Amino acid sequence: MTRNRLYLFLFLALLAGYGYLFYMFNVNIHEHSYNVCLFKNVTGIACPSCGVTRSVVSLLHGHLKEAVLLNPLGLITAVIMAVVPFWLFYDVVLKKDSLYKTYQKTETLLKKKQVAIPLITLVLINWIWNIYKGL
Amino acid sequence: MDSQKVDMYLMTNAKYFQGQHLNYIREKLLAADDSKWGMLQTADLKDPTTSILVSVFAGSLGIDRFIIGDTGLGVGKLVTCGGFGIWYLIDLFLIMDATKAKNMEKIQMFL
Repeated sequence: MTRNRLYLFLFLALLAGYGYLFYMFNVNIHEHSYNVCLFKNVTGIACPSCGVTRSVVSLLHGHLKEAVLLNPLGLITAVIMAVVPFWLFYDVVLKKDSLYKTYQKTETLLKKKQVAIPLITLVLINWIWNIYKGL
Repeated sequence: MDSQKVDMYLMTNAKYFQGQHLNYIREKLLAADDSKWGMLQTADLKDPTTSILVSVFAGSLGIDRFIIGDTGLGVGKLVTCGGFGIWYLIDLFLIMDATKAKNMEKIQMFL
Protein backbone atom coordinates (compact mmCIF):
# COMPACT_ATOMS: atom_id res chain seq x y z
CA MET A 1 0.00 0.00 0.00
CA THR A 2 1.35 3.39 -0.91
CA ARG A 3 1.40 6.42 1.41
CA ASN A 4 -1.42 8.26 -0.33
CA ARG A 5 -3.69 5.25 -0.43
CA LEU A 6 -3.16 4.58 3.26
CA TYR A 7 -3.88 8.20 4.13
CA LEU A 8 -7.02 8.30 2.00
CA PHE A 9 -8.15 5.05 3.55
CA LEU A 10 -7.48 6.29 7.07
CA PHE A 11 -9.30 9.53 6.34
CA LEU A 12 -12.40 7.71 5.10
CA ALA A 13 -12.26 5.24 7.97
CA LEU A 14 -12.01 8.05 10.52
CA LEU A 15 -14.88 9.90 8.86
CA ALA A 16 -17.06 6.80 9.00
CA GLY A 17 -15.93 6.00 12.53
CA TYR A 18 -16.63 9.46 13.90
CA GLY A 19 -19.95 9.64 12.07
CA TYR A 20 -21.03 6.33 13.56
CA LEU A 21 -19.75 7.32 17.00
CA PHE A 22 -21.58 10.64 16.86
CA TYR A 23 -24.79 8.84 15.94
CA MET A 24 -24.33 6.26 18.70
CA PHE A 25 -23.44 8.94 21.23
CA ASN A 26 -26.78 10.61 20.70
CA VAL A 27 -29.04 7.58 20.93
CA ASN A 28 -29.29 5.52 24.07
CA ILE A 29 -26.84 2.80 23.22
CA HIS A 30 -28.04 0.20 25.69
CA GLU A 31 -31.63 0.37 24.56
CA HIS A 32 -31.49 0.18 20.82
CA SER A 33 -31.55 -3.29 19.34
CA TYR A 34 -30.19 -2.68 15.86
CA ASN A 35 -26.90 -4.46 15.33
CA VAL A 36 -24.31 -3.79 12.62
CA CYS A 37 -22.10 -6.79 13.36
CA LEU A 38 -22.41 -9.30 10.54
CA PHE A 39 -20.81 -12.06 12.59
CA LYS A 40 -23.23 -11.62 15.47
CA ASN A 41 -26.23 -11.39 13.17
CA VAL A 42 -25.28 -14.61 11.41
CA THR A 43 -24.05 -16.78 14.27
CA GLY A 44 -25.82 -15.22 17.24
CA ILE A 45 -22.67 -15.11 19.34
CA ALA A 46 -20.51 -12.06 19.94
CA CYS A 47 -17.44 -11.43 17.77
CA PRO A 48 -14.04 -10.40 19.22
CA SER A 49 -14.84 -6.74 18.77
CA CYS A 50 -18.46 -6.66 19.86
CA GLY A 51 -18.88 -3.94 22.45
CA VAL A 52 -16.15 -1.67 21.14
CA THR A 53 -18.63 1.10 20.30
CA ARG A 54 -20.29 0.80 23.71
CA SER A 55 -16.84 0.83 25.29
CA VAL A 56 -15.78 4.01 23.45
CA VAL A 57 -19.08 5.69 24.26
CA SER A 58 -18.77 4.92 27.98
CA LEU A 59 -15.20 6.18 27.84
CA LEU A 60 -16.53 9.44 26.39
CA HIS A 61 -18.92 9.60 29.33
CA GLY A 62 -15.90 9.22 31.59
CA HIS A 63 -16.54 5.68 32.82
CA LEU A 64 -13.12 4.12 32.35
CA LYS A 65 -13.84 1.00 34.38
CA GLU A 66 -17.06 0.29 32.53
CA ALA A 67 -15.24 0.77 29.22
CA VAL A 68 -12.57 -1.79 30.12
CA LEU A 69 -15.13 -4.26 31.39
CA LEU A 70 -17.16 -3.96 28.19
CA ASN A 71 -14.28 -4.56 25.83
CA PRO A 72 -10.61 -3.63 26.35
CA LEU A 73 -10.21 -3.27 22.58
CA GLY A 74 -12.32 -0.13 22.93
CA LEU A 75 -9.40 1.62 24.63
CA ILE A 76 -7.09 0.84 21.71
CA THR A 77 -9.72 2.05 19.26
CA ALA A 78 -10.25 5.23 21.27
CA VAL A 79 -6.51 5.96 21.32
CA ILE A 80 -6.22 5.35 17.57
CA MET A 81 -9.25 7.54 16.86
CA ALA A 82 -7.86 10.31 19.07
CA VAL A 83 -4.28 10.28 17.77
CA VAL A 84 -4.51 9.44 14.07
CA PRO A 85 -6.45 12.56 12.91
CA PHE A 86 -3.79 14.92 14.27
CA TRP A 87 -0.98 12.76 12.94
CA LEU A 88 -2.65 12.54 9.55
CA PHE A 89 -3.16 16.30 9.47
CA TYR A 90 0.46 16.91 10.46
CA ASP A 91 1.77 14.58 7.75
CA VAL A 92 -0.49 15.92 5.01
CA VAL A 93 0.19 19.59 5.77
CA LEU A 94 3.94 19.21 6.09
CA LYS A 95 4.10 16.62 3.28
CA LYS A 96 5.83 14.06 5.49
CA ASP A 97 5.37 10.32 5.82
CA SER A 98 6.01 9.65 9.51
CA LEU A 99 2.61 7.97 9.98
CA TYR A 100 3.20 5.74 6.96
CA LYS A 101 6.65 4.76 8.25
CA THR A 102 5.21 3.96 11.67
CA TYR A 103 2.43 1.94 10.09
CA GLN A 104 4.94 -0.14 8.15
CA LYS A 105 7.14 -0.65 11.22
CA THR A 106 4.14 -1.76 13.26
CA GLU A 107 3.17 -4.21 10.53
CA THR A 108 6.63 -5.77 10.53
CA LEU A 109 6.59 -5.94 14.31
CA LEU A 110 3.17 -7.60 14.38
CA LYS A 111 4.32 -10.22 11.90
CA LYS A 112 7.00 -11.48 14.28
CA LYS A 113 6.02 -14.73 15.96
CA GLN A 114 7.03 -13.59 19.44
CA VAL A 115 4.62 -10.67 19.15
CA ALA A 116 1.87 -12.24 17.07
CA ILE A 117 1.21 -15.35 19.17
CA PRO A 118 0.69 -13.53 22.52
CA LEU A 119 -1.56 -11.00 20.80
CA ILE A 120 -3.64 -13.69 19.10
CA THR A 121 -4.00 -15.43 22.46
CA LEU A 122 -5.13 -12.19 24.07
CA VAL A 123 -7.71 -11.59 21.35
CA LEU A 124 -9.00 -15.15 21.75
CA ILE A 125 -9.26 -14.77 25.54
CA ASN A 126 -11.04 -11.48 25.03
CA TRP A 127 -13.38 -13.19 22.59
CA ILE A 128 -14.22 -15.93 25.09
CA TRP A 129 -14.84 -13.24 27.68
CA ASN A 130 -17.10 -11.42 25.21
CA ILE A 131 -19.19 -14.54 24.62
CA TYR A 132 -19.29 -15.17 28.37
CA LYS A 133 -20.50 -11.62 28.97
CA GLY A 134 -23.12 -12.07 26.26
CA LEU A 135 -22.40 -8.77 24.49
CA MET B 1 17.62 -17.00 -17.27
CA ASP B 2 16.85 -19.48 -19.91
CA SER B 3 13.45 -19.09 -21.53
CA GLN B 4 12.32 -22.65 -20.94
CA LYS B 5 12.82 -22.23 -17.21
CA VAL B 6 11.00 -18.91 -17.19
CA ASP B 7 8.05 -20.28 -19.12
CA MET B 8 7.82 -23.24 -16.79
CA TYR B 9 7.84 -20.93 -13.81
CA LEU B 10 5.11 -18.77 -15.32
CA MET B 11 2.99 -21.75 -16.27
CA THR B 12 3.00 -23.19 -12.78
CA ASN B 13 2.63 -19.83 -11.02
CA ALA B 14 0.39 -17.84 -13.36
CA LYS B 15 -2.56 -18.01 -10.99
CA TYR B 16 -0.61 -16.15 -8.31
CA PHE B 17 -0.22 -12.99 -10.36
CA GLN B 18 -2.39 -10.45 -12.12
CA GLY B 19 -2.69 -11.04 -15.84
CA GLN B 20 -1.30 -7.67 -16.78
CA HIS B 21 1.90 -8.36 -14.82
CA LEU B 22 2.76 -11.68 -16.43
CA ASN B 23 4.50 -10.20 -19.41
CA TYR B 24 6.52 -7.87 -17.22
CA ILE B 25 7.58 -10.74 -14.97
CA ARG B 26 8.56 -12.81 -17.99
CA GLU B 27 10.74 -10.07 -19.42
CA LYS B 28 12.36 -9.37 -16.08
CA LEU B 29 13.04 -13.04 -15.46
CA LEU B 30 14.59 -13.52 -18.90
CA ALA B 31 16.93 -10.65 -18.17
CA ALA B 32 17.66 -11.84 -14.63
CA ASP B 33 20.66 -13.77 -13.48
CA ASP B 34 20.43 -17.55 -12.93
CA SER B 35 21.32 -17.14 -9.26
CA LYS B 36 17.88 -15.58 -8.64
CA TRP B 37 16.16 -18.85 -9.46
CA GLY B 38 16.66 -20.36 -6.02
CA MET B 39 15.38 -17.28 -4.23
CA LEU B 40 12.43 -17.08 -6.58
CA GLN B 41 11.42 -20.58 -5.54
CA THR B 42 11.51 -19.68 -1.86
CA ALA B 43 9.17 -16.70 -2.24
CA ASP B 44 6.12 -17.47 -0.12
CA LEU B 45 3.30 -16.91 -2.60
CA LYS B 46 -0.29 -16.99 -1.34
CA ASP B 47 -3.06 -18.66 -3.27
CA PRO B 48 -5.87 -16.22 -4.22
CA THR B 49 -8.42 -19.04 -4.00
CA THR B 50 -7.48 -19.71 -0.39
CA SER B 51 -7.78 -16.05 0.47
CA ILE B 52 -11.26 -15.73 -1.02
CA LEU B 53 -12.38 -18.76 0.99
CA VAL B 54 -10.88 -17.33 4.17
CA SER B 55 -12.50 -14.02 3.30
CA VAL B 56 -15.92 -15.63 3.06
CA PHE B 57 -15.67 -17.57 6.30
CA ALA B 58 -13.44 -15.47 8.53
CA GLY B 59 -13.43 -12.14 6.73
CA SER B 60 -15.32 -10.31 9.43
CA LEU B 61 -12.46 -11.07 11.82
CA GLY B 62 -9.93 -9.74 9.31
CA ILE B 63 -8.11 -13.05 9.02
CA ASP B 64 -7.98 -12.81 5.22
CA ARG B 65 -5.99 -9.59 5.52
CA PHE B 66 -3.65 -11.09 8.10
CA ILE B 67 -2.96 -14.06 5.87
CA ILE B 68 -1.88 -12.05 2.85
CA GLY B 69 0.34 -9.89 5.04
CA ASP B 70 -1.75 -6.73 5.39
CA THR B 71 -1.45 -6.85 9.15
CA GLY B 72 -2.43 -3.22 9.67
CA LEU B 73 -5.64 -3.57 7.70
CA GLY B 74 -6.28 -6.89 9.42
CA VAL B 75 -6.24 -5.22 12.82
CA GLY B 76 -8.55 -2.53 11.49
CA LYS B 77 -10.95 -5.11 10.19
CA LEU B 78 -10.86 -7.11 13.42
CA VAL B 79 -11.54 -4.13 15.65
CA THR B 80 -14.50 -2.96 13.57
CA CYS B 81 -16.21 -6.35 13.06
CA GLY B 82 -15.19 -6.41 9.41
CA GLY B 83 -15.85 -2.70 8.93
CA PHE B 84 -19.45 -3.12 10.13
CA GLY B 85 -19.95 -5.75 7.46
CA ILE B 86 -19.43 -3.25 4.65
CA TRP B 87 -15.71 -3.75 4.35
CA TYR B 88 -16.32 -7.49 4.63
CA LEU B 89 -18.50 -7.34 1.52
CA ILE B 90 -16.08 -5.08 -0.36
CA ASP B 91 -13.17 -7.37 0.48
CA LEU B 92 -14.95 -10.36 -1.02
CA PHE B 93 -14.38 -8.63 -4.34
CA LEU B 94 -10.98 -7.10 -3.62
CA ILE B 95 -9.16 -9.85 -1.79
CA MET B 96 -8.12 -11.93 -4.81
CA ASP B 97 -6.55 -8.96 -6.53
CA ALA B 98 -5.00 -7.83 -3.25
CA THR B 99 -3.43 -11.27 -2.84
CA LYS B 100 -2.04 -11.17 -6.35
CA ALA B 101 -0.66 -7.68 -5.80
CA LYS B 102 1.01 -8.83 -2.58
CA ASN B 103 2.57 -11.78 -4.42
CA MET B 104 3.88 -9.36 -7.00
CA GLU B 105 5.44 -7.27 -4.24
CA LYS B 106 7.10 -10.38 -2.85
CA ILE B 107 8.81 -11.41 -6.06
CA GLN B 108 9.54 -7.83 -7.06
CA MET B 109 12.65 -7.81 -4.92
CA PHE B 110 14.10 -10.75 -6.83
CA LEU B 111 13.45 -9.32 -10.28
